[in-house]
Amino acid sequence: MNRENNVYTILYASIMVIIVAVALAFTHQSLSEQQTKNVNIDKMQQILRSLHINASTNEAESKYNELIKNSYLVTPQGEKVEGSEGTKTSDPAFATDIAVDASKGLPVFEAEIEGRTIYILPMSGKGLWGPIWGYIAIESDGSTVYGADFSHQGETPGLGAEIATPQFGGQFDGKHLFRDNTFTSIAVVKPGQLVSDRDYVDGISGGTITSKGVNAMLLESVGQYKNFLMNLNAAKK
Amino acid sequence: MALSNKTKAVLLGPLNKNNPIIVQVLGICSALAVTSKLEPALVMAIAVTIVTAFSNVIISMLRNTIPNRIRIIVQLVVVATLVTLVSEVLKAFAYDVNKQLSVFVGLIVTNCILMGRLEAFALGNGPWPSFLDGIGNGLGYGWILVVIGFVRELLGSGTLLGYPIIPKSFYEAGYQNNGLMMLAPMALLLIGVIIWIHRSQNKELQETA
Amino acid sequence: MEAISLIVRSIFVDNMIFAYFLGMCSFLAVSKNVKTALGLGIAVTFVLSLTVPINYMLENYVLKAGALEWLGEQFAEVDLSVFSLLIFIAVIASFTQLVEMVIERFSPSLYSSLGIFLPLIAVNCSILGGSLFMQQREFADVGIATAYGFGSGIGWLLAIVGMAAVREKLEYSNVPKPLKGLGITFILTGLMALGFMSFAGINI
Repeated sequence: MNRENNVYTILYASIMVIIVAVALAFTHQSLSEQQTKNVNIDKMQQILRSLHINASTNEAESKYNELIKNSYLVTPQGEKVEGSEGTKTSDPAFATDIAVDASKGLPVFEAEIEGRTIYILPMSGKGLWGPIWGYIAIESDGSTVYGADFSHQGETPGLGAEIATPQFGGQFDGKHLFRDNTFTSIAVVKPGQLVSDRDYVDGISGGTITSKGVNAMLLESVGQYKNFLMNLNAAKK
Repeated sequence: MALSNKTKAVLLGPLNKNNPIIVQVLGICSALAVTSKLEPALVMAIAVTIVTAFSNVIISMLRNTIPNRIRIIVQLVVVATLVTLVSEVLKAFAYDVNKQLSVFVGLIVTNCILMGRLEAFALGNGPWPSFLDGIGNGLGYGWILVVIGFVRELLGSGTLLGYPIIPKSFYEAGYQNNGLMMLAPMALLLIGVIIWIHRSQNKELQETA
Repeated sequence: MEAISLIVRSIFVDNMIFAYFLGMCSFLAVSKNVKTALGLGIAVTFVLSLTVPINYMLENYVLKAGALEWLGEQFAEVDLSVFSLLIFIAVIASFTQLVEMVIERFSPSLYSSLGIFLPLIAVNCSILGGSLFMQQREFADVGIATAYGFGSGIGWLLAIVGMAAVREKLEYSNVPKPLKGLGITFILTGLMALGFMSFAGINI
C-alpha cells in the first residue's frame, strides 16, 4: 500500500493512538498503587519533620506509626468529630486534604515525644506561584510551637523555595501562637523588622510574597484551629 | 563483541567532537535548571539517555512505514509516550528525585536532542546503530550535566550527592559555601567556561565569524 | 490587580530564559539579528498566550484526577493525567501549524526569514514549559492562566531581543578565539540572567 495514501495515513495514525493509549493506561494502572504509597510516605516524612525527625523513605512509615498515637478530626468549634479517630492512612485525619475539602473536619495528629503529647496540625495556603503547605507541631499548652515544616510546589529556587529549609522552619521552635489568651499567630516579617505585639520570625530576603503567604497561612489556616487550641490551653491550667 | 570503527564513531563521537550540548547546540533547555545538585543532574542524564536511545530504536524500526505527512507528529507521539512512561516509573520508584526534577522530566519531550537525532540519524539508519547513537548522545549530554552538577553542588553546598565533602575545619577557618553557585545563571557561565576549554583543545571547532 | 502583577512577575522575575533556561536552542540560533528575534518573539508570545489557557481548560475539565465529574457521578474517579503530556504537545503542535499558516498568508517575508524556526516553535521548551508550569501551579481561573502565558511570552521576547541587540554589537569586540560565537553567548546570557535577578524584589 502506498505510504502517502490518505487511508493509510489515517489508519496508521489511529493504530498508533490506540497502542499508545493502551500502553500508558496500563502502565498507570500497574504503578498507581506504588505511586500513592510514595505520596503517603512523603506526607509522613513532612509530619515527622515538624517533630524534628528526618526519617528516610524506608523508615518513615515505622517511625510514624511508632510516634503518632492518635489522629482525628475536630470541628472549628474545637470538638472532636465522632468516629473520626484512627491513625491509618485511610482514616479521616491522614486522608483529608484541608486545601481541598475541610467540610468534614480539621485533622489533628497526636504524637508522643519524651513522655509529652505534641499536637500536629496541617496548614495550607498560597505562595507566589502556587500552593504552599506545612505541618506545625504544638505543645499541650496549645500555644508553644515544638517545630514546623513547610513545603511548596513551584516557588522560585533560592528565594521563596527557602521556606522548605530547616533554617527557616527552625525559627518557629519555642514561639507562641497565643499572647494574653488571644490567638495572635506568629508573624513572618522582613528580616530586621521588629514586632512588639506578637511572636515573629524573619521572612526570606527576596522571597517577600512567599513569606507573606506563610504569614497569611499561619494566621488563617492555623487560625481555624483557634478554639481547639484554646481548649488545650484551658485544660492545661 | 568488537565494535567496528564506524559504530565506535557513532557511539563515541557525541562524547567529544560531536557533543550535543557544546557542539551541536542542542538540549540546553532542560540541561541547566536541574544542575544545582548532582543527584537530579545524574537522574536527568540517565532519563534522557534512555529516552533518546529507545525513541531512536522505535523510529528506526518504523522508518519505512511512517507516512511523510505525519512524520513529525509520529516522532512527537513516540517521544511523549516514552517520557510519560519514564515519568510514571520515577513517580513510583524514585519519588524524591521526581519532586526535584518536577516539570523538567516532562520537558524532555521538547529536548532538541531527541528530535534532532530522530531527524538526523534514526530516520536513515538501522535499529542497532540508532540505539548506539541515542546512547552516545545521551552520554554526551550527560557528562556535561554531571560536570556542572558536580561543580555547583560542591562549591555551592559543600556536599556531593548529599554527603558532606568539605571538611568542617574549612568552615571553621572561615570558608563559606559559594552561594552564587546555587543561582541559575552560574550554570550558563559554567557551560561558557567548558566550551572555552573544549575549543582550546579542539581548534577546528572554533568559530571564525 | 492580580493578573497585572502576574504578568510583571512572569516577565522579569520568572523569565522563561533567564530563570529557567527554557527555549534556549532556537534562541541561541536566531538571536543574531534584532528584527528576526522580534518576529520570533511575537510568534512565541502568540502561541503561549493561546496554548496555556487551552491546556488549562483541558487540564481542569478533562485530564486531572476527578476532572470529569461534570459528565456524571460515575466519572468522578477517573484520572487521565497520564495523557497530559501527549495532549499538551498535540495542542501546541496544532497551534504552531496554525500560526505558520497565518504568517505565510499575511507576511511572506517574515515567513522566509524565520525559515525552519517557525515549525520549531512546536518543540520550543518554553511553550511546553508554560503549559507544564501552569499544571504545577494550579491557577485560580483561565484568565489568570492566560495572563501567565502572555507574560511568559513577553519575557521570552524581551530576553531574545536583548540578546540579539548585544550580539549585534559584539561583532566589534575582541573575543578570544575559543570563546567566539557559542561560548561568549553563554557567558553573556549568564550575565544577563544575573542582572535579571535584581528584579526579584519587585512587589506589585
